[in-house]
Amino acid sequence: MISNCRGISINIRTRSITGLWLRHAVSFVRYWKFVLTWVLIEPVVILVAVGFGVGKLVGTVENDVPYAEFVTPGIILGNAMFHALFETSWNAYNRIENDVYETALTTPITITEITLGDILWATTRSLLTVIGTGIVAAMFGWLNGWHSIGILIPAAMVGVTFGSLGFLFSSVAPHTTFLTLVFTLIASPMFFFSGSFFPISILPDWVEPVAWAMPLTPAVHIARGFSLGVLDLSHLLAGAYMLAITAVIWPAAIYLLRRRLIS
Amino acid sequence: MSEFVKKTNGSIISTNRVRKLYGEFVAVDDLTFRVGYGETYGLLGPNGAGKTTTMRMLAGLSPVDSGEITISGIDVVRDNRSVREVMGVVTQHDGLDNGLTVFQNLFLFGFLSGLSSKNSKTRAHDVLDFFGLTERSKDNIYELSGGMKRRLAIARSMMSSPKVLVMDEPSTGLDPQSRNRVWEELAMLKDDGVTILVSTHYMEEATVLCDRLAIMDNGKILDEGTPDEMVERHAPKEVAQLRVVPALLRSVREYLVKLEINFREVGALISVTEGSGDRPDLTGLLDREGVQISYRPGNLEDVFLSITGRELRD
Repeated sequence: MISNCRGISINIRTRSITGLWLRHAVSFVRYWKFVLTWVLIEPVVILVAVGFGVGKLVGTVENDVPYAEFVTPGIILGNAMFHALFETSWNAYNRIENDVYETALTTPITITEITLGDILWATTRSLLTVIGTGIVAAMFGWLNGWHSIGILIPAAMVGVTFGSLGFLFSSVAPHTTFLTLVFTLIASPMFFFSGSFFPISILPDWVEPVAWAMPLTPAVHIARGFSLGVLDLSHLLAGAYMLAITAVIWPAAIYLLRRRLIS
Repeated sequence: MSEFVKKTNGSIISTNRVRKLYGEFVAVDDLTFRVGYGETYGLLGPNGAGKTTTMRMLAGLSPVDSGEITISGIDVVRDNRSVREVMGVVTQHDGLDNGLTVFQNLFLFGFLSGLSSKNSKTRAHDVLDFFGLTERSKDNIYELSGGMKRRLAIARSMMSSPKVLVMDEPSTGLDPQSRNRVWEELAMLKDDGVTILVSTHYMEEATVLCDRLAIMDNGKILDEGTPDEMVERHAPKEVAQLRVVPALLRSVREYLVKLEINFREVGALISVTEGSGDRPDLTGLLDREGVQISYRPGNLEDVFLSITGRELRD
């Protein structure tokens, strides 16, 4: 049981969430050959190109960290973001259009539980790609030490935050063209401006706060803390910021999806 | 328990003065009807009559603006989750999941409904068997014909063994053979004691399936009863049908208008419908070349016309 802001208790049915999660997992496993290409192959290609290619040119950044080691947590988290966003924007839009949610709603499920089930699945996808790519990066020697496993924490946070965010697009999208905004407005700018490829401190002064406001930035910051094994209060604050953003986005997602599905 | 719930013990579905607005538009108005245990009840009306909105309100998928709905003793207006535990719903567009096989569609729906994994598997096999779809269980959804998809959607609604089935337009868009199959299977469910509420704009479907039906138009129920009662009350005993060659159409129309005989044209067929009672006097047309006259009994389509002044199919 959780309470909403008016103090009315809302009953959450666990089966709704596991049932929806299982549906996504079964469908995912059915198409595993295609899935593998974007869970593993695509991020590894980017990792190798940037790590070996750009890394050769750059050498080291901030405190003598080799570039490949600097960039790895950023790329991994960026991919986690793409997965979570894609799941609840494009895929969820298709589920709206193909009446998958409509059918689910003929069982004792609620809109809140639909968002929870889908966000849980989005988070699962984020974690899967982070684990897969992380293992490859570790083999290259770009993730060192057991503390790197901690990256799973910001990865899960990215899944929840961006899983919620995707619904803000799918639940209002009139057509699939609208959904390209997810990439042009959200995913691409964040992928490049969240401190994944270069330290935010080298950006012009006026861009820096904008970069910090993007919800991927704190996640990359935390991930880098874990991969380099250097954690301080700033990482805790970054986590709190992500939670605060999610606390706004998720209720909005529920509201918009309800408006779309129930009339 | 509200007063209304207490009063409805004899019926499995009751609605009382239900009203639904979309902005200024009144989609459903003052809707009151009851469906008894094991009964098949139909909402018959043209597109836009408010049938789908009614079905969605019954399933708790559309908020009710005012009025009361009770299904199996559950107050749907206050508790729209519980009602979906006891009721099967088949929406207009099948809503089958293209990312899954036939079997997975059933199994995962059962699981989502609350069945254990083991029970859902067993039930999926039983349901596939009942609907004659066992051989298709590993198929993709896009490999199925329209009729099979419809039947799979009905099969899916039976996963949690509901006592009530609410179904929007059972056979819309199906070929006659598939339609018959769907009707047959709905009759089998009725035999098993399932209470069925269907909406339809096919008078034939309503005649074949329903124990009782309500005529709906513009969001309102205009009359209800058994199909026979409705025909007796509102339709002529016999309707003359004139098949007229195009060249004579005008003069036949003029003849009918002159004698103040009611008629309507559907394609090349003119149906002559006098209220109730005797056959209309068509003697003047009998000897004309190019005019064929036959008589058929009044049906629900005539009922609809006589109540609303409009065709059922528009």
